[in-house]
Amino acid sequence: MKKSLFLLFLLVSLLFIVVACSDQESAGETGKGSSDEEVNAEENANESADKEITIAIDQNFVTLDPHNAGDTVSIYGIRSMYEGLVGFDEEMNVVPVLAEDYQVSDDALEYTFQLKEGVTFHDGEPFNAEAVKANFKRIIDDDSLRAHRNVQYIDTVEVLGDYEIKFTLNQPFSAMLNKFAMIPLASPKALDDESKDLGLNPVGTGPFKFEEWNQGDSLVVSKYEGYYENDKTNVEQVTFKPVPENGARAAMLQTGEADFVYPVPQQNAGDFEDVEGVEVTETPSTIARYVSINTFNEPFNDVKVRQAMNYAVDKNAYLQVVKNGFGNPLDSTMSSQTQYYSQQDTYDFDLEKAKELMAEAGYKDGFEAEIWGNTSSETVTGMEFIKQQLSQIGIDVKIQSMEEGTLSDEIYTPATPEEAKVQMWYVSWSPSSGDADGATRSLFSSEYLPPEGANTAYYDNSEVTDWINEANETSDAAEQEEIYKNIQSTVYEEAPWIFLASDVILSGSKTNLEGVYVLPDGSVSIANAKLK
Amino acid sequence: MWQYIIKRILGLIPLLLVISFVIFMFIHLIPGDPARLMAGKDATLEEVEEVRQSLGLHEPFVKQYISYMGNLLQGDLGYSIKSGAPVVDLILDRVMPTLGLTFLSIIWALVIGILIGVLSAVFRDKWPDRLGMLTAVSGISLPNFWLGLVLIQLFSVQLGLFPTGGDDAGWKSYILPSFALGAGIMAMIARFTRSSLVNTLKQEFIRTGRAKGLSGTSIVFGHALKNSLIPVVTVAGLQFGFLLGGSVVVETVFSFPGLGRLLIDSIQFRDYPVIQAEILFFSLQFILVNLLVDILYSYLNPKIRYD
Repeated sequence: MKKSLFLLFLLVSLLFIVVACSDQESAGETGKGSSDEEVNAEENANESADKEITIAIDQNFVTLDPHNAGDTVSIYGIRSMYEGLVGFDEEMNVVPVLAEDYQVSDDALEYTFQLKEGVTFHDGEPFNAEAVKANFKRIIDDDSLRAHRNVQYIDTVEVLGDYEIKFTLNQPFSAMLNKFAMIPLASPKALDDESKDLGLNPVGTGPFKFEEWNQGDSLVVSKYEGYYENDKTNVEQVTFKPVPENGARAAMLQTGEADFVYPVPQQNAGDFEDVEGVEVTETPSTIARYVSINTFNEPFNDVKVRQAMNYAVDKNAYLQVVKNGFGNPLDSTMSSQTQYYSQQDTYDFDLEKAKELMAEAGYKDGFEAEIWGNTSSETVTGMEFIKQQLSQIGIDVKIQSMEEGTLSDEIYTPATPEEAKVQMWYVSWSPSSGDADGATRSLFSSEYLPPEGANTAYYDNSEVTDWINEANETSDAAEQEEIYKNIQSTVYEEAPWIFLASDVILSGSKTNLEGVYVLPDGSVSIANAKLK
Repeated sequence: MWQYIIKRILGLIPLLLVISFVIFMFIHLIPGDPARLMAGKDATLEEVEEVRQSLGLHEPFVKQYISYMGNLLQGDLGYSIKSGAPVVDLILDRVMPTLGLTFLSIIWALVIGILIGVLSAVFRDKWPDRLGMLTAVSGISLPNFWLGLVLIQLFSVQLGLFPTGGDDAGWKSYILPSFALGAGIMAMIARFTRSSLVNTLKQEFIRTGRAKGLSGTSIVFGHALKNSLIPVVTVAGLQFGFLLGGSVVVETVFSFPGLGRLLIDSIQFRDYPVIQAEILFFSLQFILVNLLVDILYSYLNPKIRYD
């Protein structure tokens, strides 16, 4: 009996030791800097404590390699430390950043940039045309990098002077400037240094420099004192903290653990109305929400049926029921925040007209159909709403909610339109760099039917396909705008989708924090962060 | 005894081989194409194929398995598809927080659970028993994610005592998640302790003790409790394995950087190498805990002998 008691005691003490050790280790991990830095950090702690902010976000960072990030969270984590030749302003217009100015040749094949002088990377290396070239060389040579896709049309990179560089394309590409904005530039020294993984040791030119990244947990960046516009921010340190659970993330704004929270879940937006010192901001996004209709098969190959479906769905009711009242009806094939957006006359809810169109198409008594979507609760609510609305014109919709992987397989693997089983798909789209090409080509060009692309409506209009290619071949912005206007009105009219809504993004901020905002593409910008 | 332990440990090897094969097979059978997920929705077929080649996913299933096992035996668990980091590093980073959390949960589940169980047994059918069992039933019935959210509202938002999540506030970060995680087991331990102790208290050696004039406390804690612990140890041991499963949910609610959250992140991304390694790790832990429980038996009850 004594033996057993002793063993129990031993076991319990072992557990305590393990717990204690793990505490110590996690404490040890957070202080990775050298001991000198730690001493300095402690001395400064009192001064700078009120100049530090925490931003709670919904997902983990995947990588910090500036040329290999594909997810929004990694992209804006990287943008906090890096800059490109051009970048996006608050409305997602392309503006010069490290470039002083740029010119595009008339044939849309040559892009010449004049660079800012006096810019240094965080490691002290000077920023110049050679540094830019080194970055593009890496991306062009290594086709496993995600940014490689952005440079696929670049033929040559030519250094014209210390601060001038020219890119020549092998074919015109209307979204090229947006793609330049998606390429952050790293220090050439860091690119060459093979002993350090660039994805773990970022070195850029941005207003904030890398401090530490606990993978799967927080990313910490601190003010770069050598930044060329030193008054851009007065924040000393920014911590990005991934908090996947919606309720917990919203709570952090209430407890003061976070200064900025994104996204604020729609159902929590009301919680902050009476909370002093906190405000919730709505940002229109580039996210378009719709139901894509497989136009290849009967009865959906009849444009009248598709228009009837659009008239039968009440978009305002949709916003109330599914989106808690947040968002705007989708009044084009892309959101109002996308390049060359042109507003269309919406299909206002009109049951009479819908029934008329159904009768004209020969489906007076309706038909049976299937709608697919993923398993998220919002998607399921959305699909139920569509089912209920379409039942008003006799369409009996069966809901198929599938796990994301299964869904992706079912939709993207059929080799020909004949094999595709999808009828309706409840989904959303957001162009990765806010450009009209990204919001059009893979969705509506007949060259991009699955499995080649994401034209899951199997929309096939040779005029539209030609326009999409034409828009690329000109450098004249007015001409491009005109072409995209035609594309939008034609596609909207032919209704390969049920056009539902464009999302708004909700973020919460302490009122004493300014200049941190969310861009329409869902990325958080901290470059202008100011604490009052 | 030692012979038995060594035999059991050797027996683990074929077991783990079978498990690894089953895991490998299942993960590759579930639908969803990591190459497409990785390439992004606006990728062309060509780009998707490039990614597939670079991940080695175009190889036949058996060949993939053999090369995976070959690397595994050299201690190489491969690289994460998602971040490119070595899987071993990812897991090692997350092991200690999760182990800390589970151990803390089981410790207080044992301490409070046994206490409630003893009080309920001693005051059987009186109010402490009713209160104790009400707590126990609640503990089993409340889902841990819900309990977690309520705890955050109460102790973080309203009272401001603990952080809402993460693990950077030292021991304070462990309190709420371990509570949410351990509540179910605490309840189960309380019920098992009660019923086992009630039975023991009816036995003859207890009557002898009372006849000898021993005090109530020394009868319960000195004699009866020890004899009632076997079912409790079994439950605690088995539940420890399930705790790891529970940590998946609780770590997500509390944005706690442990193995559970890593698993969720990896499953969403079809990050095969990480999922495989994690499930293998969980299985190994489950098996080892069971072995430990078997060994503990023989100490608690010398009548049990393994030969």
